[in-house]
Amino acid sequence: MATETSGAGPADAGDSGALAGLRSRFEGPNTVGNSRGFWVGFLVAVLALAAYPFVVGSYQASRFSLFLVYAFLGLSLSVVWGYAGVLSFGQVVFFGVAGYTFGVVSVNFATPAGITGAFLVGVFGGALMAFVLGYFMIYGGVRNVYVTIITLVSTLVLHTFMAQTAGDEWTIGEAALGGFNGMPTIPNLAFGVGGASITFSSMTFYYLVLGLLVATYLGLRALVNSDYGRVMVAVREDEDRTRMFGYDVERVKLAVFTLGGALAGLSGVLYAAWGNYMSPGVFELTFASLPVIWVSVGGRKTLLGAVTATVGIEFLRNSLGGELAFVIVGVLLLVFILGLPGGIVPWVHRTYVEMRSDGATPEPPEASAEVSD
Amino acid sequence: MVNGLNLLFQFLDSFAFIVLAAAGLAIIFGIMGVINLAHGEFIMVGAYATTLANIRAGLPLPAAMLVGVLVTAGFGLVVERVVISGTVPNALSQRFLGRKVIEPLYDRLADSMVATWGLSLIMVQGVRITLGNSLDQIGTPLGNIAYSGFSYSTYRVMLAAVALGVLALTYYVFTRTEYGMRARATIQDEDTARALGVDTERTYMTTFAIGSGLAGLTGALYAPTITMVPGLGSSFLVEAFVAVVVGGPSVVLGTTLAGGLLGAINATVSNVLGTFFGRIALLVTAIVMIRFLPDGITGFVETLRERRQEGA
Amino acid sequence: MSTNQDASGGPNVRQTAAELATGDRTDTLLQTEDLRKEFGGFTATDEVDFSVAEGELRCLIGPNGAGKSTLLNLVTGTYDASGGSIYYDGHDVTDLDPHQRVRKGISMKFQVPSVYGDLTVRENARLPIQRFADGDERRRRVDDAIEAAGLAGYEHVDASQLSHGQQQQLEIGMAAALEPDLLLLDEPVAGLDVAEREAIAERVTRLNEAEGIAFVVIEHDTEFVANIADEVTVLHNGEIFREGPIEAIESDPEVQRIYLGGEH
Repeated sequence: MATETSGAGPADAGDSGALAGLRSRFEGPNTVGNSRGFWVGFLVAVLALAAYPFVVGSYQASRFSLFLVYAFLGLSLSVVWGYAGVLSFGQVVFFGVAGYTFGVVSVNFATPAGITGAFLVGVFGGALMAFVLGYFMIYGGVRNVYVTIITLVSTLVLHTFMAQTAGDEWTIGEAALGGFNGMPTIPNLAFGVGGASITFSSMTFYYLVLGLLVATYLGLRALVNSDYGRVMVAVREDEDRTRMFGYDVERVKLAVFTLGGALAGLSGVLYAAWGNYMSPGVFELTFASLPVIWVSVGGRKTLLGAVTATVGIEFLRNSLGGELAFVIVGVLLLVFILGLPGGIVPWVHRTYVEMRSDGATPEPPEASAEVSD
Repeated sequence: MVNGLNLLFQFLDSFAFIVLAAAGLAIIFGIMGVINLAHGEFIMVGAYATTLANIRAGLPLPAAMLVGVLVTAGFGLVVERVVISGTVPNALSQRFLGRKVIEPLYDRLADSMVATWGLSLIMVQGVRITLGNSLDQIGTPLGNIAYSGFSYSTYRVMLAAVALGVLALTYYVFTRTEYGMRARATIQDEDTARALGVDTERTYMTTFAIGSGLAGLTGALYAPTITMVPGLGSSFLVEAFVAVVVGGPSVVLGTTLAGGLLGAINATVSNVLGTFFGRIALLVTAIVMIRFLPDGITGFVETLRERRQEGA
Repeated sequence: MSTNQDASGGPNVRQTAAELATGDRTDTLLQTEDLRKEFGGFTATDEVDFSVAEGELRCLIGPNGAGKSTLLNLVTGTYDASGGSIYYDGHDVTDLDPHQRVRKGISMKFQVPSVYGDLTVRENARLPIQRFADGDERRRRVDDAIEAAGLAGYEHVDASQLSHGQQQQLEIGMAAALEPDLLLLDEPVAGLDVAEREAIAERVTRLNEAEGIAFVVIEHDTEFVANIADEVTVLHNGEIFREGPIEAIESDPEVQRIYLGGEH
């Protein structure tokens, strides 16, 4: 499904050399949207999101920022599954571990400097956990389908473990893990030292998350369209073949898995700071399956699909509320995995491309040449 | 000696639980290459149907259990036709759109996991919406075995015998019936089986129905002893899942051995550290087993046996 | 002569056809010693001492089940040896992973064409090349590789849409783009028509003579083998049965007998 770019390249007049060069880093066959039109739309969307709090008020914006937080979790699965071919049911493991780590550290060191440290330690914790689990599986030669099973079981191990941490002995410093009751009074996110620090809440938190998301999205776009990204895709498509081109497949899978853990960890830390609360519910199967649902519906092989589907589905779930929401989500998942396993965004993109080229004369090779080699 | 007896009962309870939870799933996974993450919900259907038949319709417990099994088997048949093989939607789309829209889920492990997960969400919430958050409880029959201060439910220990019976029945079906022959041929090599005239589609349909029926049986058997909530399936799913993978390709022997191993570990650790840690120990054992014996116990035994034989 | 930096940092010097013609084939590129591979109780490769000189074009033939593909897979490291050793360019590579051996100069085309179906021809060609070159140099090399495979104009076609013969050509091109010293081809002309076979034979010969790449080619087509081979190795029951120039092998009655069966 490496559809060639539509209307990009030299035929796309109006771009100066520098701008086109900059764009080329973020464009390629591994992501959707490689035309000026796309970037204009992207800019509009970002601006709309930036204006959103002024339209709906800070309370709604604060609720919406949760969906943006989840987008990191969706991206983490997209990177690991869509781009390296490893279906992990356990991204929530790294999400949860990072969130709890942030909670424990920030409750014990409730100063801005301490919280900044907690943020870093939390994300690192998620990445480290992914590295350890990933090493155990990938360098143990576990086939991809069993990686899925092991990650699923790991989620349950953590759920069972955290659920029984209710007693007083399960307290680290000032932070009680709290078992099923969870860990409350996690402080808001803050960066900086003492006086020269910002604490994020409500509106400021929203903009922080939005900014981080845009930066992460662009960073990942650059990564998957780079040489390394192409190797990731090659690993996904055919591991043996890629090995025979001299690439250390195990190392690539582990690196990508760890990156996925860091992204999930970032999501977890932001989540803990958003709700000021962590509970073992994040390790439940229902929550563990959400990333799989988001990414299956949106299109796991595209970053844009992961983000839009996550935000879209969570928004929907939240609006509907209650049991009906889960039924609808279940139906969505079924319909998509059976009828449109590639997801929405690639399908929309394909249809759009087909509509534009109209079945008329095929584009001359230069016009559809990739922007970079 | 009292504690030893308690440990024995815990083991039997655990063994029964794992084997009964896993039996239906093992058959479906082994023959069709489909991982049914809605398996727990099939068990729930059996439990609910049994409870409704017993309490609302007034049927005696054994008859109610039979109802549970049949309802679940029928439900499984519908799921197989609509979701797993996609035959019904494809027939419809063929009529109206002129083409098929769904690929069957056979041997698509990741996709089948995701699709059946969606199914399970629908089932749990569907039941919750239509029947509420909990259902009346059938009382546990047969009372307790009591001995110097301890007591254990007789019924749950007896289920171990039932579990063995189910294993024996499965063995019989697979080795002595015509269906069993067809099913085993299809596991070995689907294309060859089809070339030899085996109706693989019918075999898959029957297999899924049987697997669902077994899940229904598990639900029916446990209905008197567990809390009747829509989410009850999830406590069965994981154990079932893990036992199937650890057991390996041989359905009967694998499930038995996995049940024995995991049940023993669960019981022992639970006895010393409590049920939470018992479960954790079971899950961690499973992870270690999958990592070091990815083909399961029986897969590993097969490899050992091949090593000792001569032959291509 | 062209040089190629390998993982150990030293240049690999390859011999040209001229040097070969003068009989200056001193350097052994690949050498296996007592190489053994067992699957369960079945010995697929039995104490094989197989050697290939630099720039040589060797064909590996033998009845089905003789262990030809197994031998190639042992050389690439896809299979772990049950016993014995493999030396490549003087280094003991027996314990190296496949990707490490590739970086030393071994390259392979699989028995079943394994191009990346969902990627375009250009994207396929770029993958092995992107490790060696950047920017304009890379673009040029990718263009050359596509052209050499006879696929100019198919650049943006998904590889799965190519014909069987085109896929074979693409895959050979990709394997050659790694600038190997030893290229292993597992049945490169299976399922191709006469014209396509000739094209591949020509390509292999050209790569061998112009770039000095040594080849080990598994093939069943005797005409193809006769066309390209310097030397032929016959495998039977996992052992080397005969070795020698194609004329000698062709007329050897023992060889004919093992193909017809009955020989043990």
